[in-house]
Amino acid sequence: MSLSLDSTQAVLAPIVATREVGEQTWVIDVEIEDITSDFGPGQFAMLSLAENSPTVIARPFSLYERPAPNRFTFLIQKMGKGTAALVDAPIGTMLRCLLPLGNGFDVAAVEQDVVMVAGGVGSAPFLIYAQQRIALGARENTHMFFGGRTQRHLFDHQSFDALGINMHYSTDDGSHGFKGNVIACLATELDKKRISKKSVIVACGPAGLLHAFADFARLRNLNAYLSLETYMGCGFGVCNACPVPTSVDGKFTDWPYAKTCTEGPVFSLADISI
Amino acid sequence: MLSTKIASLDFATPLMTGSGTFGHDPAALRFLNPADLGALVLKTVTPEPRHGNPVPRMAEFEGGIVNAIGLENKGLAYWQDTVAPTLEGLPVPVVANAGGHCADDFVEVVKAFQDMNGVAAIELNLSCPNVQGGILYSTDSIGLAKVVTACREVSDKPMFVKLSPNVTDIRPLAKAAADSGADALTVCNTLIGMLVDWRLRQPVLANGIGGMSGPAVKPVAMHMVSQCAAAVDIPIIASGGAACADDVLEFVVAGATAVQIGTAAFLNPAVISQIASDLRSILAQENLTLADLRGSLKL
Ligand SMILES: Cc1cc2nc3c(=O)[nH]c(=O)nc-3n(C[C@H](O)[C@H](O)[C@H](O)COP(=O)(O)OP(=O)(O)OC[C@H]3O[C@@H](n4cnc5c(N)ncnc54)[C@H](O)[C@@H]3O)c2cc1C
Ligand SMILES: Cc1cc2nc3c(=O)[nH]c(=O)nc-3n(C[C@H](O)[C@H](O)[C@H](O)COP(=O)(O)O)c2cc1C
Ligand code: FES
Repeated sequence: MSLSLDSTQAVLAPIVATREVGEQTWVIDVEIEDITSDFGPGQFAMLSLAENSPTVIARPFSLYERPAPNRFTFLIQKMGKGTAALVDAPIGTMLRCLLPLGNGFDVAAVEQDVVMVAGGVGSAPFLIYAQQRIALGARENTHMFFGGRTQRHLFDHQSFDALGINMHYSTDDGSHGFKGNVIACLATELDKKRISKKSVIVACGPAGLLHAFADFARLRNLNAYLSLETYMGCGFGVCNACPVPTSVDGKFTDWPYAKTCTEGPVFSLADISI
Repeated sequence: MLSTKIASLDFATPLMTGSGTFGHDPAALRFLNPADLGALVLKTVTPEPRHGNPVPRMAEFEGGIVNAIGLENKGLAYWQDTVAPTLEGLPVPVVANAGGHCADDFVEVVKAFQDMNGVAAIELNLSCPNVQGGILYSTDSIGLAKVVTACREVSDKPMFVKLSPNVTDIRPLAKAAADSGADALTVCNTLIGMLVDWRLRQPVLANGIGGMSGPAVKPVAMHMVSQCAAAVDIPIIASGGAACADDVLEFVVAGATAVQIGTAAFLNPAVISQIASDLRSILAQENLTLADLRGSLKL
């Protein structure tokens, strides 16, 4: 899916629900009227408190779910003061939201096997992605590898379980599913040929995981896409704080960097050099 | 009610975007009502493409951000072919911003801007702290005068000279710019600063140092605006930390004719429209005009 700034809106909207979903992590629901544009998996919003924002710039978050046309949810892990302000805000707090932003994941054709690889809150873009796959009729050939440090880091996994897609959990401490990291878990399933190496593999998570995933996918020649969590200043393409190095033989041949916010955050591995 | 004039140009309001904070092209204009924006100031253009600095290029601190983008831009030839044509017929005047390493660089860019129909005015970025050489013109009034004079010779478009706050006294530089033919001064660019990650024993930005902007720098810019307004007879365009209508009025009282809004647009790209509407209500309520307030600071 590709969107230009033309569909992006700057709106004020209230938090209408908050629920804790694991270690230092919450899902917040925001009610936003009149967003007519598509807001798809992998796209994001810049969020901040509408009044008395403790931060000077907003923070980027993937769309987690759109349970109703006016309701948008975000999965937020408390990191520093920007995320703390959002998850600690009482119901009714007005947020400043800039959305939808960026280019998200293409929901591959029904017959195409899709494998989602998430580390921690890297699961954020995949709930709605899986829902869209299911709506297409592609439940059986949609897989998700969801890894976290412990069971408490497999945030909101009940929502994923309820989808009926093929879930593969892993935890570093073995408290839930495969013991080890999510890439080792994926490697095992690929080796056993329970996952086709022709699958479209989409990954999201912390920088360390994405770097390891990029190396792994290149080595095995996988058809891989990544959603990057590059630091952002504006989220709408004006500040140049979010460059990602491009590959010489990819689609961004005219410049050594792409802007994560407007040209990503989802990139084909072939187009970037990380 | 908010209309403002600088040199031969009429602006709908005294509000402008800040170079480097609203893009390389007019795409982000869609967040603003054109009646609220005086001028769209675009990102600095250099003769050659510049890839910019390594990441991280930006970080936040209490009250502001520090950036070391390093003037990433695709260079003059690209701008001429791709951006300039999109500027013609826009509902707001465009200020193109020129940068470079030496006087010849500035002249090359200004010459090209002079020939572009979509460019209403030119801002010289003689003050970027993030590129080598950039600061030289901004701290030495003789060097600065040379560049401004050379640019003046090749362009009759309104020319704003953007000064650096990283000096002990900004007034000699303001005078040098005015005497060399500047039509207005933009006061000022970012303040040099550094953030440190003590655990890593490293600066937070890959470049080590960067330019501070946002609310924390407003008092510095305010002081310099008032100094420059007293030192020269040309209009002052304030830049540094303005985020709301009160900030704008403070700068106007300190002597500014126009005010650029930079970092505040990152939080809210529509902030200029918000400020314009607040300015209209405040001025109506207080039965004041911008002219009543301009330079009314009692020192
Ligand atoms: C496209 C995108 C989508 C994201 N989606 C989610 C999501 O769905 N759920 C979620 O919990 N997190 C998500 N993140 C990460 C989230 O934006 C950061 O955790 C958040 O900005 C941290 O802000 P803070 O003030 O709490 O922390 P800080 O104290 O500012 O920093 C804590 C850490 O977060 C990083 N960080 C700070 N500001 C930013 C920023 N503006 N952009 C990126 N990283 C930053 C810092 O480098 C540091 O490592 C996403 C990031 C991007 C770029
Ligand atoms: C990310 C960023 C990039 C900038 N790039 C430029 C630039 O290319 N040229 C320039 O003249 N000023 C540049 N500036 C300076 C701003 O135009 C402005 O003068 C400064 O940020 C202070 O104003 P503010 O506090 O309103 O942002 C940049 C500032 C920021 C934050
Ligand atoms: S975050 Fe500002 S350009 Fe991407």
